[in-house]
Amino acid sequence: MLQHDVLIVGSGLAGMRAALEVSNDPTLDVAILTKVHPLRSHSGAAQGGIAASLGNSAEDSWDLHMFDTVKGGDYLVDQDAAEVLTREGPENIFELEHMGCAFSRDDEGRVAQRRFGGHTAPRACYAADRTGHAVLTVLFEQLLRRGVKVYSEWYALDLVVKDNVCQGLVAYDILSGQIEAISAKAVMFGTGGYGRAFRVTTNAFASTGDGVVMAYRAGIPLEDMEFVQFHPTGLQGSGILLSEAARGEGAHIVNSDGFRFMENYAPGRMELAPRDIVARAEQSEIEAGRGVTALRDSVFMDLRPIGEDRIRYALPSVLHLARDFAGIDPLDAPVPIQPTAHYSMGGIPCDINGQVRIKDLDGAPEVTGFFAAGEASCVSVHGANRLGTNSLLEAVVFGRRAGRGILDVVHDLEPTNIAEGDMADAVGEVDKFLRADGPEKVGQIRAELRDTLMDKCGVFRDDAQLRECLGEVKEYQERFQRVAIDDHGSTFNTDLLDAIELGHMLEYSEVIVTGALARQESRGGHARRDFPTRDDDNWFRHTLAYRPRDGEDGPRLTYSDVNMTPQYREPFPLQERTY
Amino acid sequence: MAQQQFIIERYNPDTEESYEESFDVDVQPGQTVLDSLNAIKWEQDGTLSFRMSCRHAICGSCAMKVNGQSMLSCQTQVDSAAERGDPIRVGPQGNQNVVKDLVVDVTKFLDQFDRAETWLEPHEGQDPPEKEYRQKVEEFDHWSHASTCIHCGACYSDCTVAAVDENFLGPAALAKAYRFVMDSRDSKREERLQFLSEEQGGIWDCTRCYMCVQACPKDVLPMDAIMELRTMAIEAGFTNNHGTRHHKGFTSGVRKRGRLDEMMLPVQSVGIGRLLTGNISAHKEMMDYTPGAIRLLKSRKLLKIAQRHGANAAGREQIQRIFEEVETEKHHHNVDAEAFGAEFETAIGGH
Repeated sequence: MLQHDVLIVGSGLAGMRAALEVSNDPTLDVAILTKVHPLRSHSGAAQGGIAASLGNSAEDSWDLHMFDTVKGGDYLVDQDAAEVLTREGPENIFELEHMGCAFSRDDEGRVAQRRFGGHTAPRACYAADRTGHAVLTVLFEQLLRRGVKVYSEWYALDLVVKDNVCQGLVAYDILSGQIEAISAKAVMFGTGGYGRAFRVTTNAFASTGDGVVMAYRAGIPLEDMEFVQFHPTGLQGSGILLSEAARGEGAHIVNSDGFRFMENYAPGRMELAPRDIVARAEQSEIEAGRGVTALRDSVFMDLRPIGEDRIRYALPSVLHLARDFAGIDPLDAPVPIQPTAHYSMGGIPCDINGQVRIKDLDGAPEVTGFFAAGEASCVSVHGANRLGTNSLLEAVVFGRRAGRGILDVVHDLEPTNIAEGDMADAVGEVDKFLRADGPEKVGQIRAELRDTLMDKCGVFRDDAQLRECLGEVKEYQERFQRVAIDDHGSTFNTDLLDAIELGHMLEYSEVIVTGALARQESRGGHARRDFPTRDDDNWFRHTLAYRPRDGEDGPRLTYSDVNMTPQYREPFPLQERTY
Repeated sequence: MAQQQFIIERYNPDTEESYEESFDVDVQPGQTVLDSLNAIKWEQDGTLSFRMSCRHAICGSCAMKVNGQSMLSCQTQVDSAAERGDPIRVGPQGNQNVVKDLVVDVTKFLDQFDRAETWLEPHEGQDPPEKEYRQKVEEFDHWSHASTCIHCGACYSDCTVAAVDENFLGPAALAKAYRFVMDSRDSKREERLQFLSEEQGGIWDCTRCYMCVQACPKDVLPMDAIMELRTMAIEAGFTNNHGTRHHKGFTSGVRKRGRLDEMMLPVQSVGIGRLLTGNISAHKEMMDYTPGAIRLLKSRKLLKIAQRHGANAAGREQIQRIFEEVETEKHHHNVDAEAFGAEFETAIGGH
């Protein structure tokens, strides 16, 4: 059995930032475990910026940033968390800058800031349009500098929790095929989101919700899983992200009539309305027959109003992505785009110190020694819809806070010990796939699942489609029992990992659909055709979904209150949300 | 839809067997090599292993050889990789051990970043500013391209020096070192330049073949960074090394004789002063030239080299003028840069 004081799973911004913080205490043994090398983490794909009210381009304040965040999240945002995010934003940016982050600069040599959807001030700090990459790189550099131990290309299989105390986890060394128990006094999950269950997505192949499912299987309820953000500007077909920075810099979105239709949906903000609003508008235009291209399944984003020099300087990745992946040169022609599953608002419930808590129970008891941060977590700082550039900030701010939260408690936690019997589930799962013999194929079920979620649980949802969707997900779960894989080897067996990941996708997809079916209102990323308005009387609350126990045929839903007690100011009261 | 043949170089670690396998894939317009590998894996043979994640050229997982050249498979369209009807060959990256199929052991490549200490070293005993360090747009623009490295290893895979020298830091780590040498926030500029000049496998070991620049899927231009590092290292006074002596011997020979003096170059590279003072390691270095010299003797090339004359008077004069012009231009460039820097400091109030 391997042993560490602190084990961090996931090596994106949240995980690495937390590990750095923990490594400030030289008496602690901290390690990171990740299924892809840290530099491959999906945080690196974030393009447009990281928000903070530095006020470098125009007057700004954390209050204003907080208000934008709360309103952007359609008021489902926990206001204690939004306050932390926005108050601590600037110091976190300066810290990254001091570590050497390659931020773009303004004429006075300060960190440059640009406009972004839903933000009333230009507060997106950026590194051209590769901001996630710049932050990910600098955190990894600092991790190397500190000499933090990294289990690279190790796959976490199972979180071990006994009597509400986290013991550690069971993991699989992808290179050797060995299964090892790793005990730790504190475990933090920064395992990312779950967008891979949708056909059209910006998410990396790795974003299969492994962490949320491990927590769910360990008996922890998942929060607000039905809230999945569809980004308005994915490349048609593949869904590859074209940064919102394009609109921040002045790109237009038009329908088949060449009309900037946001005029009809958010006249005050046009293309820079929050993502849920732009995505819904696009989908409405497409469904009304005003889509473009032969398939009429997309609308156009036109970058030409920005001007060639500025596109080349500020949006080089957008330029290359459109050329390399759609064969279109944005300097000459508009680019067909469509809503694409992008960000998971839901996740593992935790407080503002990253401590995982069962929020629906009295006093919200903690899961001792278990922490979460970043997209895998649900603090909930984004509520029903995340604003662009708030995710990188969340990962850094709450990664650091989780690190500090761990430092606060870890010395008082008992050493843990994972027994042979605790490994049985994980060993059994791997064994089952290596021996399985059946007619079903992972790739086939996965493709069907992604179609189903995209078409029946996408930008717009309704009762009938969600019921169909749920039935199909259950059918896939059942077929998955008869799946077989080709590769039975022990070295770099990605066929096996694909199967395990599909198991995760099938499990959380059921939670997404169940939560969506129950929530009879439209709020942020969850838009119901049959309940088109927000219903604060009945649905101003977070969903919590428990894994079905024997005899239950689906996740058990409970609910918890939205936090309205920020520490340094009055809460922002519920208001109608218009832009 | 058209059919495309892929020939994949495979390796089975259990049987330690290397072999080629051919697959036919239906391809759509716009389909990438990675899409095709996935089609093979998901529909034909699940045992095929390769790394991938973001599938849009930012995570750096899927660099591999396509028709012999390293590139990101996700960024490479099938149409651009093959003439119609020709098969596409896909193999693992070079200069690293194969783990399975298209998966290589990237440890050696990634360890070079650790070895070159490619992270920011802040100024010791000096608190950072309350807000951000100020950095000129022009400064940022000068090095930011080198910060776009996605550590995919394509440059290292195709590097002709890494192929023969395990010790070479490699294009990516050197480009990253350059990025920190250039960054005004870093406190170790001198130490870095010294290390990169004197370390076995540092900047002087690059042979300027340009393969790294060609392989890089981003805008890093590693070789250009290495050349700039050489200039900066010499200017910073790190000249007591084989590379600089070689460089100086090379240029002074050309300047004097109008052509390369290949007979003198080894002696100049090792250092005439070092040899005359009886420096033991210098004499050992000279001995390293012996096998090569013997080969040249045998093939009678050495004689031909020794018999070469310098350029005639007119040619020498012309070469003199080229040297002078380059040096004048460089001087002007430096003066402009300094003036600009002073102006900027004044403009931002000497932060």
